[in-house]
Amino acid sequence: MRAAVKYALALVALAVAVAPVYWLVTISIKHDIDQFAVPPLWFRFQPTARHYVEIFGDGNLARSLWNSTFVASVSTMLAMLLGVPAAYGLERLRWPQDWSRKIGFWILSTRMLPPIVTIVPLFLMLRGIGLLNSRLGLILIYTTFNLPFVVWMMQGFFHEVPRELEEAAMMDGDSRMGALVRVVLPVTKPGLAATAVFCLIVAWNEFLFALILTQTSASTTLPVAIASRVTQYEIKWGAMSAAGVVAMVPVLVFAGMAQRYLVRGLSLGGVKG
Amino acid sequence: MIRNLQRSLPGVPWVAPAVLLLLTLTIYPLIYSVKVSLTGPAGFSLAHYARLVQDRFFLQALTQTLLYTAVALSIEFVLGFALALLIDSLAHGRGFFRAGLLAPMLLPPVVVAVIWRLIYNPQFGVLNGMLRGFGVNTSALTWTSGEGSALASVILVDVWEWTPFLFLLLSAGLQALPQEPLEAARLDGASAWQMFRDIVLPMLKPVIVLAILLRAMDLLRIFDQIFILTQGGPGFATETVSLYIYRTAFRFFNFGYAAAMSFLGLALTVAFARSLMKVMRVAR
Repeated sequence: MRAAVKYALALVALAVAVAPVYWLVTISIKHDIDQFAVPPLWFRFQPTARHYVEIFGDGNLARSLWNSTFVASVSTMLAMLLGVPAAYGLERLRWPQDWSRKIGFWILSTRMLPPIVTIVPLFLMLRGIGLLNSRLGLILIYTTFNLPFVVWMMQGFFHEVPRELEEAAMMDGDSRMGALVRVVLPVTKPGLAATAVFCLIVAWNEFLFALILTQTSASTTLPVAIASRVTQYEIKWGAMSAAGVVAMVPVLVFAGMAQRYLVRGLSLGGVKG
Repeated sequence: MIRNLQRSLPGVPWVAPAVLLLLTLTIYPLIYSVKVSLTGPAGFSLAHYARLVQDRFFLQALTQTLLYTAVALSIEFVLGFALALLIDSLAHGRGFFRAGLLAPMLLPPVVVAVIWRLIYNPQFGVLNGMLRGFGVNTSALTWTSGEGSALASVILVDVWEWTPFLFLLLSAGLQALPQEPLEAARLDGASAWQMFRDIVLPMLKPVIVLAILLRAMDLLRIFDQIFILTQGGPGFATETVSLYIYRTAFRFFNFGYAAAMSFLGLALTVAFARSLMKVMRVAR
């Protein structure tokens, strides 16, 4: 009996968490006439794909979708390219006293800085060098965002690899870099993948910097494109919801892929920018 | 010389590129921002900081941010902890419930805002729609567009979105607890409440501190959802520090004043984090 009450409570919590998301999906596939029926239609309505057809026919939204994909993947690659060697260097190479801990802590502390503190100077800097309203500017910013996270995550994963592995490879004539690439990285593959996935999510979800640094429809990302639609006076609910679903699906898929590492990745801001 | 450096500090070339990027795009902007905040029309000036104390809009935004943080954090902590204990005590389906309960915090904040626009809209929203279905007169229920209800409404969105975060950390903490002390206490006939108070809570304290700290730091800088849901309105009802800084910098183009405000905000965040750490250490 007590167990039944517990499961009932858990189901209620689950419904509260999931129902709003479900509602978004239903609005995105409802005909306009069904969207605001009273009482609301949760299950019984005629589905339609027309809102999706509409948003993909809209050049601006399609371009912002591409911008988001491009910016998120390039910035993730850059953050991994810079962060993985740094993590390895801090974890495995010889440092005087506790330098490695201190440097690691300093790197992580840059992640704790509220974005609103650096956004004014970054805006002025990017404007100065002509990178405002460009994907490159945003890529640089997101790389900086994710770098501390990559270093911190990968240090943990490298720490779990036994030193004997790479020492053996280096005995056989591999350089440090060779040992890292051929022996250590293959062992840490799940960790690498999870770290990259969290970087992708951060860059994909980020809003504030994209809002300020990319204001032209040619350069802006999906979240900003959606937000500009939300704040317009006349809102097309179906199209807006469809765009929301498009923005949401990749994130849920990615998170599912990195499920085993959710706690490690999310606790230090692996999702929030 | 370079060769010597290479020998005594072999890690430097590995770490240098990352550190250089962070210096250029984090530390340099920070210094630059200090400079901007201390520059008036005629060179060095403390005017921006002096203005802070008299700006009642800033003070209201600050009060609202603190209120928002305190209320949202308390509710999210209690709910998240309760959920963690509940799911942890289930015999089956823990993975299933956990995955579903985490969904809200994974969504892009923009999507969260879109979802709650669909829910809160006074005429077309599903919330008032359901209430009307039950025969409630909803003409006074304006949620995010009502002066009196807007702040509570955006806090509710935050609770929906971020309770999963506290749930995630606390339930990971619960899973990592050693089972022996709990078994021993059970054999000694301790009640569930005693076990929770005397064993689970003290052992979980580091996780609790971490979770509260991380969430509080994010709450103090809240921007995205409020920006999309209410733009700080109606009037000034949901304005927060981050929104006010945004408006000052990018609507009124007063970069110096915006920078000064952001440093006050940063100082408060750091002070808050430090005092929390201290309190939790003393309480042990």
